[in-house]
Amino acid sequence: MDIAGFLASLESSNLATGIRDSLYLFPLIESLHVVGLAMVFGTMVIVDLRLLGIASIRRPFTRITSDIMKWTWASFVWTAITGMLMFITNASVYYHNFFFRTKIALLALAGMNVVIFELTSGRRVHRWHKDAAAPLAGRATAIVSLLLWITIIFMGRWIGFTTSQSKAPQDRDINLDDLFTPPASESGAPK
Amino acid sequence: MIQQFAEWLSQTSLSILIQTHNAWVIPTIQSIHIIAIGIVLTSVLMIDLRILGWAGHDQTLRETTDRFGPWLSWALLVLLVTGISMVVGEPVRALLSFSFWLKMFLVAVGTLIAAILQITLKSNEHHWEQTLVNRRAVRSLAIMTLLIWVGIVILGRLIAYDYVWGSWSLRPTA
Repeated sequence: MDIAGFLASLESSNLATGIRDSLYLFPLIESLHVVGLAMVFGTMVIVDLRLLGIASIRRPFTRITSDIMKWTWASFVWTAITGMLMFITNASVYYHNFFFRTKIALLALAGMNVVIFELTSGRRVHRWHKDAAAPLAGRATAIVSLLLWITIIFMGRWIGFTTSQSKAPQDRDINLDDLFTPPASESGAPK
Repeated sequence: MIQQFAEWLSQTSLSILIQTHNAWVIPTIQSIHIIAIGIVLTSVLMIDLRILGWAGHDQTLRETTDRFGPWLSWALLVLLVTGISMVVGEPVRALLSFSFWLKMFLVAVGTLIAAILQITLKSNEHHWEQTLVNRRAVRSLAIMTLLIWVGIVILGRLIAYDYVWGSWSLRPTA
């Protein structure tokens, strides 16, 4: 099956149709997505700031990760699932959206960044985990991580502004908002 | 009256400035708002996990709030500034929304709880570390605080979808 057919089959699946047909499911899923990504981002910031020697510096790095990384991973899975649920409701539009594609590419880079950390400073973590900051490679991956996640959040918000969702009856009635509507092809997108 | 205020606000020069650059200003402010939410949510999480004894065993409660309290306060300030900018930029969308006012109420409650913890912990450190963290009421309050902040995040997103509240929605209907 080609990609267009695959995207169309995602969109016509029972799950996608059910979410589209409900007035409440998409807003709920999107809200839960924000809760998840806020947790992923916030917990990553705690770890990255520790690597950089900016915060929590008196606690061993391994203590921080054993406290936090389980929340990061659980939140990541949660965010990925809610993200996929939103994706299938309008798969072909998201698939061709520049910000969606950039976001997925940056997520892949964030994953590679974790692998790079594990192969460099992460390998010798017990040699430096009580130091105030990680070795150079660890600090570099921390900065890359912070920049990637911040950009990923920006991209995610831009997806909402540049893709149209099937319904959002609320905005149609607000004439003040109409003073600065986005281009016609995007009207009705939930913001 | 809220509607009149919202309409007046939307005619102010600052609001019009944001509206004119709407295409990038609003999503930028929203993104910064979400980044600050991540800091707030996880700062509250770490303090509450310490109270519950699920994380940070090697730290006292005071050490935990010393680490996360300032980040919580600064991120709340960022939320306030970006939040006000969004209200000024899109007054009708924000102010005529049930989610917004429920969210503001929960923000007041959540901030009050955080402030009370900070103040009473400083003046009564020993009592907090030895006794209060083990009290069931305090532990329940920790879980409730976390739920309040999760609720705040959800309500924030729902401002865009006020119709979900049905007849409680404050959106003007055509």
